[in-house]
Amino acid sequence: MIHTCTLEIRCDTVVDTSKLENEAVIPYVPANGVILATTEVEYTPGENVFEVLKRVTRDQGIQMEFRDDPLYSGAYIEGINYLYEFDGGTLSGWMYKVNGQFPNYGCSQYFVEDGDEIVWMYTCDLGRDVGDNSTW
Amino acid sequence: MVTDAYSVREGLGEAAAFYRSHPLLNFSYFAIVIGVTMFAMHPVFLLSSFFMAWCYSILLRGIKAIRFNCLVLIPAILLMTLFNTLNVHNGVTVLFYLNDNRITLEAIIYGLASAIMLTSVIIWFSCFSVIVTADKFIYLFGRAAPVLALTLSMIMRYIPLLQHRFREVAAAQRCMGRGLKGSSWIKRIRQFGKEVSILIAWSLEASIESADSMEARGYGLRGRSSFHLFRFAGGEKVLLAAILLLGGAVVAACAAGSMSIYYYPAILLPRFTVLQWISLAAYLGLMSIPMVLDMRGIHEWKLSHAAM
Repeated sequence: MIHTCTLEIRCDTVVDTSKLENEAVIPYVPANGVILATTEVEYTPGENVFEVLKRVTRDQGIQMEFRDDPLYSGAYIEGINYLYEFDGGTLSGWMYKVNGQFPNYGCSQYFVEDGDEIVWMYTCDLGRDVGDNSTW
Repeated sequence: MVTDAYSVREGLGEAAAFYRSHPLLNFSYFAIVIGVTMFAMHPVFLLSSFFMAWCYSILLRGIKAIRFNCLVLIPAILLMTLFNTLNVHNGVTVLFYLNDNRITLEAIIYGLASAIMLTSVIIWFSCFSVIVTADKFIYLFGRAAPVLALTLSMIMRYIPLLQHRFREVAAAQRCMGRGLKGSSWIKRIRQFGKEVSILIAWSLEASIESADSMEARGYGLRGRSSFHLFRFAGGEKVLLAAILLLGGAVVAACAAGSMSIYYYPAILLPRFTVLQWISLAAYLGLMSIPMVLDMRGIHEWKLSHAAM
């Protein structure tokens, strides 16, 4: 049986490139804010969000950098498509939501289920500007 | 350039004209140059500091400075380039993939740049250690921070002292027939350990005596004066003003971002405008002040010798 989920990567919050501190990234920010449009991907059961992201970005030729961080019990995404954490200020970084909700734990801990819609978003405000009001 | 006073092999050392300048000049020069070197990552400024550091270290310390500099440069390049390339995967130009991670050209170049920056700083520090001696340090900081000045001067004294003592210990052990050469591996390691423990015991006892004697003489008390002959000679006030002015210009240019460069994702150099040329000229001028002084000192020495 084939298991599928969808993956999308967006950076709408930095389309207005004046927020970026690192000027060299500006040519690599897509004008519409879409780094990867919603794509349906196959996954094998037992894979987590991080493994899906790593595979898809490698296949599509999108740069992605991660590190192993015990604070997140696994992988922590530092940058996608040359857009790194802290490039948009001290509160900026990458967050992911599944089926419209931010799990707020490390992406190696979320195991993908059939039909999940995974969206990776770049935030400049610890999640507040992309709709994550869970912690505040 | 071989004269009686200056041999290329040994370098100028403490015969340098800059050595005889007022400590304030020495310290402010090195503080500004080393400080700016750490922050100016633009290749032109980086390489000019690197080049000047090499020149000055060879002038002061002679041919053996080349060996020291290379001993610092080569491991720095290898380690930092390797470390940066394997840990940072940012960068547009992908050379190859290693275990899902990108090895990029920008990471290699940044590693090289950091290595050159680190080496320049270390070479400048080696020149600093020739020019700014312990008594100059105590003179500069004795009033404001006596304990700090004392600690730093003791550190500067202890490293060559420990080397000298270790050589004595090793020589004594050799005379007693317990030399390091010739025995098996295990025996040599044990003998080395024994020599290190002798060195430590000797140094600890000596430092206790030293501490008692220094306390008895009032070291570390605020306001303790030390004898010094540091006076501002004729043109030195002008020279100090020149150092501070040029230094200030360079620091201001650095703060304004004219020496910055972006390495990731692609290498972005700011356009080289008139401002950059001016700051480069100021930077080169600042760094060459001691070398000009020392060359003039050598020239005057040769003239005075010829007149005899």
